[in-house]
Amino acid sequence: MSRDQQAESWAVKVAMKDPPQIPGRVQGKRRRFRVAWGMCWVLVWAMAGAAGYGEGAADGLRGLSLEELGKIEVTATNRVPLRLARTPAAVYVITKDDIRRSGATSLPEALRLAPGVHVAQLDAIKRSIGIRGFGSRLSRGVLVVIDGRNVYSPLFAGVFWEMQDTLIEDIERIEVIRGPGATIWGPNAVNGVINVITKKARETKGDLVSTGWGNVQRFLHVRHGGSKGERLHYRVYGKTFGRGPEYHRNGADFDKWVMGQGGFRVDWELKNSDTVTIQGDLYGGTMGESLSVSRAVGVRPVVVNQDSRIAGGNLLARWRHTLRDGSELQVQTYYDRTSREAANFTEHRDTVDFDVMMRKSAAQRHEIVYGAGVRVSAGHIPVVLPTLRFSPAHRNDQLYSMLLQDEIRLFGETKGMYLTLGTKLVRTDFAPFGAQPTVRLLYTTGRHSWWTSVTRALRTPSDVERSFESTGFVAANPPVVSRLLPNREFGSEKLVGYEAGFRHTAGRNFTLDVAMFQNRYDDLLSVEPGTPYTEQTPEARRTVIPYSVGNGLYGFTRGLEVIPDWKPAANWRLTGNYSYLSMRLDRQAWSRDTTTMASTAGSSPRHMWSMHSAIDLPGRLEFSQSYRHVAGLPRFGVPGYHTADARFTWRCCAGMEFSVAGRNLLQPAHPEFGGNPEGLVEVRRRIYGSITWRR
Amino acid sequence: VTEVEVKAAYLVNFPRFVEWPEQPARGDTLAICILGKDPFGPALEEALAGQAAGRIRMKARRIARVEQVQECDVLFVGAPADSLWERVKDGARQAGVLTVSDWPGFVLRGGMVEFVLEARRVRFAVNLGAAEESGLRLSSELLKLAVTVRPGG
Repeated sequence: MSRDQQAESWAVKVAMKDPPQIPGRVQGKRRRFRVAWGMCWVLVWAMAGAAGYGEGAADGLRGLSLEELGKIEVTATNRVPLRLARTPAAVYVITKDDIRRSGATSLPEALRLAPGVHVAQLDAIKRSIGIRGFGSRLSRGVLVVIDGRNVYSPLFAGVFWEMQDTLIEDIERIEVIRGPGATIWGPNAVNGVINVITKKARETKGDLVSTGWGNVQRFLHVRHGGSKGERLHYRVYGKTFGRGPEYHRNGADFDKWVMGQGGFRVDWELKNSDTVTIQGDLYGGTMGESLSVSRAVGVRPVVVNQDSRIAGGNLLARWRHTLRDGSELQVQTYYDRTSREAANFTEHRDTVDFDVMMRKSAAQRHEIVYGAGVRVSAGHIPVVLPTLRFSPAHRNDQLYSMLLQDEIRLFGETKGMYLTLGTKLVRTDFAPFGAQPTVRLLYTTGRHSWWTSVTRALRTPSDVERSFESTGFVAANPPVVSRLLPNREFGSEKLVGYEAGFRHTAGRNFTLDVAMFQNRYDDLLSVEPGTPYTEQTPEARRTVIPYSVGNGLYGFTRGLEVIPDWKPAANWRLTGNYSYLSMRLDRQAWSRDTTTMASTAGSSPRHMWSMHSAIDLPGRLEFSQSYRHVAGLPRFGVPGYHTADARFTWRCCAGMEFSVAGRNLLQPAHPEFGGNPEGLVEVRRRIYGSITWRR
Repeated sequence: VTEVEVKAAYLVNFPRFVEWPEQPARGDTLAICILGKDPFGPALEEALAGQAAGRIRMKARRIARVEQVQECDVLFVGAPADSLWERVKDGARQAGVLTVSDWPGFVLRGGMVEFVLEARRVRFAVNLGAAEESGLRLSSELLKLAVTVRPGG
């Protein structure tokens, strides 16, 4: 963490000295792009008009014969909105159709479609993903689950996004829960949950080959799916990609990334009441990093551009059993290994998780979920540099959790009121059993629903706060160093979240989803300076300015998300979203923290909005485009930006599909987030073509 | 056009191709029931409203208990279809109800009509044996349009 902080404060300094400037020639180019973009929109309106604007979709179904019904091409599988209408939380679902039309080739890119989620690139490889604030390289406070596997690292209570991947074509949907989803999902789900769900093996039969080539990336995806009899379905996949570099003002171009990944999934329906799923992945690659490295204590750090190696794998087994009375029992276990070797840091980690969950309907009105889980994570973090060390270098982290939730139907059904009560209990090596209760109330008329909730959530301490020590260089003569010390008293960060929202469906073609929140945070992480002292080692005598982490900050976040979704015509969908966020952090009277408040609040944009259009044209053509704005990040001197993406797809023949996609079209490059020791890396305009073949 | 709109249109169209063993006894309004999660929302009511006058009169019902299947002519099994189907299967067979679902594998498990998605088109598979067992007669026109027909016996 202090490593990151050092790097990021560097970035701020560099950014302030050298404010981002765009030469005039480029500005002219940008204007031309904007004009072209505007014309694109006009064109889309015209085309949609020609394709039958305002023609009520289902009206056209009246009086059709069965034969004619079978010939109608349907748009997105729209199960989701109806299920959503009954969820008393700020949930947004990114469907496989949304992902395909966006042209996203990685999980973080797909997540840009969700409201309230700030996705930013530090360079070609690293990402910051924050939900309702608290954006950081490590996505602290956001729980990420991929097919039931929790990819949260107990080392720093966050997620290394560059190690989380799957075949993008296999994703069924991504559920993004903004706000504390703590009850069902567990620890670390303080600001939000990202739940990636892949398709069942039954739905990926046949072969797929997809390859793409562009100025920043190239990829090859291969998948084969099949079945043995009627009850056993499987798929295997492999993928490889190369990415980077982005635009570097100093030409460092270190961020080159090459990865390979393979995996499988088997779904076996033993009996009508039992399903067993076994799946796994293996991956490995190299990623170029730029790191500020001190070879010895008291030595001025140098910037090292070097490839880091990442590798890992996982294996998961899940058994789902339906009891005679319709209750559902799920038992799941997985093993996950990750390993990472960088110029300043090495980690090897093995995680084993076991989880049991039961879902039961009772007395007509209750839908009860309860369960328990245990996770053991063994980390080995050897000392690579004397200035950064975890002590002990080996440690086992254990986590126990229990959950109980009851959804009570108070009255009515399709039109009715539902009350959800629940709590999760979590215990880790660093925190005693802590309760995370939630109360949620929903009233729905089928077409409209209103909901409100109060939730308490905890972010339990991680190894970084409890056992990490780093030494920073301050001056050589006289020798002065800064030292961040672990704090064994560091406790959980706490949140009490108040939320309310409504969803309206107007006719068949328009929905509006609005959510508001106010979160109260307590005991947030602070960095507390201590009293300087003198250290005598065999090599030198130096002054040490100590710091330690503390729970010295508190504060509020408030915000609003508005998500309209409109189908102006049967073949055209327009979606938008606007997210507002205000963060106010303050320190306790005893705290002497001076930097963390501003840096935390300054890493999340106040406003974000975007518009997406997806249109089906005659001749099996699809055209989608989006426009987005993200406000500036004062912490890094990153200015706000506007940019646009577009994608044109032709589903040709014999399972072939051709597409051309462009991202970040409105400028040659723009910065999104800080963290690189030598100033901001800018995200380039990206054009790529791809060919997909399905059989 | 969304998937559920097409499915709803199918659902209100199927009765024209089905002969129930005791059709007149139930009066002249057919009940299309939905058990479990309702995927249709307003689409089903809209499809019913779109039916031309003079044809069979139909109404939609959402049922919560499996015993209510006695009052249905068409039953759509929604999620969680696997567990609901186990519970409602026998009652539905005895009551002579046309059973429909979009749960994959429905016709393999004794269901009569299963919606399948083929190249972004909604089609359906039929289990003729299951229909015969319940005394339902499906017209040849319906069978002709099915993607697969599981024979009787």
